Amino acid sequence: MLVVDALTKTVPGGRRVLDGVSFSVGAGEFVGILGSSGAGKSLTLRAISGLTELDSGEVRFACEDGTMCCVTRARGKALRAARRQMGVIFQGLHLVKRMTVIENVMMGRLGFIHPLRSWLYGFTDAEAREALEALDQVSMKPLAGRITGSLSGGEMQRVAIARAIFQRPRLYLADEPIAALDPRNAEAILNLLQPLSRHNPVVSTFHQPELTRRFCTRVVGIREGRVVYDGSPELSRSELAGIYGIREAQAV
Amino acid sequence: MVPYSARRQLVRRAVGFGLWLGLFLAAAALCDLSPEILKQGLGKAPQFAREFFPPLWAAADEMVEPLLSTLALASAASLLGMLLAFPVGLAAAANIVPVWLRLPVRILLGAERALPEILQLLFFVVAFGLGPFSGMCALAFSSIGMLGKLVGDAIEDADDKVLESLKATGASFWQVIRYGLLPQVLPSLAANALFRFDVNVRSSVVLGAIGAGGIGAEIARSMGMLQYNRATMAVLGSLILIYAAETVSGQLRRRLLEDGRS
Ligand SMILES: Nc1ncnc2c1ncn2[C@@H]1O[C@H](COP(=O)(O)OP(=O)(O)OP(=O)(O)O)[C@@H](O)[C@H]1O
Ligand SMILES: [Mg+2]
Repeated sequence: MLVVDALTKTVPGGRRVLDGVSFSVGAGEFVGILGSSGAGKSLTLRAISGLTELDSGEVRFACEDGTMCCVTRARGKALRAARRQMGVIFQGLHLVKRMTVIENVMMGRLGFIHPLRSWLYGFTDAEAREALEALDQVSMKPLAGRITGSLSGGEMQRVAIARAIFQRPRLYLADEPIAALDPRNAEAILNLLQPLSRHNPVVSTFHQPELTRRFCTRVVGIREGRVVYDGSPELSRSELAGIYGIREAQAV
Repeated sequence: MVPYSARRQLVRRAVGFGLWLGLFLAAAALCDLSPEILKQGLGKAPQFAREFFPPLWAAADEMVEPLLSTLALASAASLLGMLLAFPVGLAAAANIVPVWLRLPVRILLGAERALPEILQLLFFVVAFGLGPFSGMCALAFSSIGMLGKLVGDAIEDADDKVLESLKATGASFWQVIRYGLLPQVLPSLAANALFRFDVNVRSSVVLGAIGAGGIGAEIARSMGMLQYNRATMAVLGSLILIYAAETVSGQLRRRLLEDGRS
């Protein structure tokens, strides 16, 4: 489904922020990426959706027609075609605040509509009804007409998920989808992502090993731009300590 | 010791005023300001008042058409300027275009703003002849100079995260602009365009007097034909127009900015 192959990236100043990151994701998986701050988790996700330049390495992704296409080398139309198939769940702060909730959800499908149409009238009524269903899945249907800027952080996060669902991608990518949420809302979001992942795999970064243990099917641990763990979400103390670069006694 | 001296204060103020007076007299002399001219002019004041007042009320209905022409000129210039300011603003924004495009665009916009509207009008008169069309071009251009810069600044301040999240859905460049950027900058662009409309109404009266037609031309013509009370009527009409434009523009602008906040 998705193959991440030896990604490396050096930032100005000479520091290697990605140093041969490799892992793959198959059908039905919910992969949690763990790692301390600055380890390269967000960068890896950005590389998968082709939003960052790499020094070397490849991201391969099973396209609509079943062939594996290389996101890393794709440009223009081909790149956009690949991006359409990946639903990126950004933090809610990435929504267009002056527009309504339902408009923000419908923007998930911009890649599918003709550019001319997007300037003339945008989305159809049928699409609006579908967007409403997506909002219903995240219990946000009653707020569909609100201006997005007036929502709370947790509500915006759920709108961001609804946008990704509405996009109908073949793979979900989420960067700290529960970062700004209280424990109850965080569980609610995870209870949303988990069933989604059975149909289309989810790759998501987290800072809570106890939650990836409960919800994910697999954990990838990244430390200083390298994958240091790839396996069962039931991590031992020493494995956790290895990911976070701390002594075993301190690991939860 | 008290850190204050009344005498020092007095000297300081006297020097300050003396400096101002010296500069003013020097400058006024260069402007041919002399007591004789002043006396001559002031002596004419009563006659002047008699010629200009009362306004020629009978000509009121003849003022409607030139006033509408001036209003149309200012409106067309503002609307055109608003439309074109968006693409120009894109080309002036560092987060959208490369430096080699942004820099010359910014320099051109700066030069445009530095050039007085009256000079711009003269250029367009050479191209299109006297009349409201040249006036509209001149005002549209100077509106772009101001609005384009403001849009460019607003675009540079816009939230890049929003744009990136749309890019990630596979949206094309122009779709990202339309859905991610336009909603972020449109309210401020509209508010600035309304402000510019207010400015344009005033300017179109002035430009009218030097060749752009409308009420300005009417004032100039009446003066030229020594029909001073007719000119007063035209000035009165322009005052009403300018006041109305200012009020409407201010009200709409306030409402627009309030909406943005909610
Ligand atoms: N454009 C860039 N220029 C320079 N350094 C960068 C750039 N992008 C990322 N980095 C660096 O790369 C490293 C990895 O960044 P990344 O955002 O992937 O961290 P992260 O694992 O997501 O951390 P966090 O948990 O805090 O979100 C960081 O040290 C960051 O400073
Ligand atoms: Mg991060």
